[in-house]
Amino acid sequence: MSSMDPIPRASKSDLARRWYVPQEIQSLRAYYPVVIFVASLSVVISIMRGNEDAIYSSMCIVFVHLVLLLLLRQLDHGTKNIRDGIFVISGIGLFLSILHHLDGPGLWIDIWFTTWMAVPFLLVPVAGSMPMVTLWVSGRLTVKAAELGLRMNRVMAEKHSHALHHLVLLHAVTIVALPLLWILDVAVSPGNSLGGGFMDEVTGEHFEKLVSSESFWLWTRNSFIVSIGTTLLGLALAIPAGYAFSRFRFRGRDPAMFAFLLVQMFPGVIILVPYFLVMKALGLLNTSLGLILAYSVTALPLCVWMLKGFFDTVPRELEEAALVDGCSQTQVFWRIVLPLSLPAVAVTALFSFLAAWNEFLLALTFNTSEEMYTLPVGLASLISSTGQAWGDFAAASLLVSLPVVILFIAFQRFLIEGLSAGGVKG
Amino acid sequence: MVNVIYRGVTKRYDNGFMAVDNLDLEIDDGEFLVLLGPSGCGKSTTLRMLAGLEEVTQGDVLIGGARVNDLPPGARGIGMVFQSYALYPHMTIADNLSFGLRMMKGDERPDDDDIRWRVGETADLLGITAELEKKPKQLSGGQRQRVALGRALIKRPRVLLMDEPLSNLDAELRQQMRIEIRRLHDELGMTTVYVTHDQIEAMTLADRIAVLNEGALQQHGAPMDVYRNPANPFIEGFLCAHLDDIVETANDLFGGEEE
Repeated sequence: MSSMDPIPRASKSDLARRWYVPQEIQSLRAYYPVVIFVASLSVVISIMRGNEDAIYSSMCIVFVHLVLLLLLRQLDHGTKNIRDGIFVISGIGLFLSILHHLDGPGLWIDIWFTTWMAVPFLLVPVAGSMPMVTLWVSGRLTVKAAELGLRMNRVMAEKHSHALHHLVLLHAVTIVALPLLWILDVAVSPGNSLGGGFMDEVTGEHFEKLVSSESFWLWTRNSFIVSIGTTLLGLALAIPAGYAFSRFRFRGRDPAMFAFLLVQMFPGVIILVPYFLVMKALGLLNTSLGLILAYSVTALPLCVWMLKGFFDTVPRELEEAALVDGCSQTQVFWRIVLPLSLPAVAVTALFSFLAAWNEFLLALTFNTSEEMYTLPVGLASLISSTGQAWGDFAAASLLVSLPVVILFIAFQRFLIEGLSAGGVKG
Repeated sequence: MVNVIYRGVTKRYDNGFMAVDNLDLEIDDGEFLVLLGPSGCGKSTTLRMLAGLEEVTQGDVLIGGARVNDLPPGARGIGMVFQSYALYPHMTIADNLSFGLRMMKGDERPDDDDIRWRVGETADLLGITAELEKKPKQLSGGQRQRVALGRALIKRPRVLLMDEPLSNLDAELRQQMRIEIRRLHDELGMTTVYVTHDQIEAMTLADRIAVLNEGALQQHGAPMDVYRNPANPFIEGFLCAHLDDIVETANDLFGGEEE
């Protein structure tokens, strides 16, 4: 065989034509179940609202979507009449969608539902009238065209999956961002109302009031003392414990690790009363130290397990090399293991800090005098005692989240490293 | 320099597994000894007991006539090269090399100028001067191997220990490093104990090979002596038959061309 021979084409056995399905049709088939799911959700919502017209129209729409999916599945080389049927049914579906929307109350969630139900009725005919699809369903696809189509499919598949990913992410972002935007709106609106248009009036009065109030700064100070104290104490206990669990085999090791998890299996309320009695006996009610102790103990199991998991990934040969280089056991830990575990330590620290910063129940129970409130308890008191100061509350919530946001941004690099543990390789 | 003596050394693990059984072996001053055997034969354990990374259940290990059973690894005057190199990932190459010097105690610890000079000297010796400011992650496998060697050599150890140091390298690099290791030994002249399961490595590197199986020493002697006069069927199968196989394959491959 000389190298000049033409490459035998797969087309000889007509493989390309047999394997080719336009990507538009493939994508629609793959993603259509999501549409049907959302449309069914709309039925459920209509039933819960008791809106009879909307129930019937949305049920019809689900049915039409099911028929469309069925027809899409039947679509094949040389099935032009099925394609034409799809056109007609899409038209009916579009009409039904408009009717359905008119039946509903027209909130933003209804607009969302309508979009999900109606857009496929537009997309399907558009996809169905693409030149390649038309060629395909009319059965006039040549082998060359099929090969071209397969090549185009690869590009298109990537684009379609990109679009879908962005669609999913957009939903996630909306779900996360909406409450935040809402609270921002409340915080900058004058007065204490929860309604009104978005950003119709803007004022800084709530922020000014907070910043000039003495108790806000007192609560902030308390929160910082408790959170930082918890972080330091928690790390001081969890790091040695995690290392010991990771490296040494001792009697009672496995039961001890299990016991740590056991504590996590009960809801926090169960330990509330015993904790209270202990704190009372120790005279630690209405002190920051009491909270620090309680939080450290609660955060400990997770911290120990997290650190143990990371220490496990530090190769033992590294420690042995350090021993040969003249380190003592303690030096091995401080100079080799700990520097390598900094990402995990950072994640653990952040976790303890957050848990303490956000904790409400224990703080509410133990520290009853107002000058010992932490921020979450103080915030709650804004609602109950002074006649529901929603504006102040919203502004304070934003201020309280600020340190957390700053911490996350500062630790971002560590967080990614720490959460994807196991990256330590010589 | 010094000699190394295993006197009736036994290692039994907590689960009852006998890794090394009553080993008697003497390694002469400046000798290159290769511990050879299949996996699980106790060769690594033997080496690690000499390093102090594994406790001796029974018997004595002597370096330069002194019993070292209870000395921590850092006090034994040894350097060790690990199979995975075990370079410290968070330190630069220079810091990796100098770590052992910086950890020395009291009067033994060289001053900073001296340390810097010795890092330079060692880097020169191994041809890694250009990599000193890099992190281990940025180096190729062969370069990491050199750094690992340098880290073991920089303290001027009395005994150099190597635990399958070449098994992570590709064939060509392995050949190169084999020559390099032998050259370094001849140049620096320290007593060397080298663990491997590779018969060719053992035959080409060693002054003397000691073959182990199931925790017991089978035979020791100059490579060719052991090959010519195998003491038992195990040696015949593990060493002689294997080498003969290689020779035969090579002859089959190249024998035809000459005709």
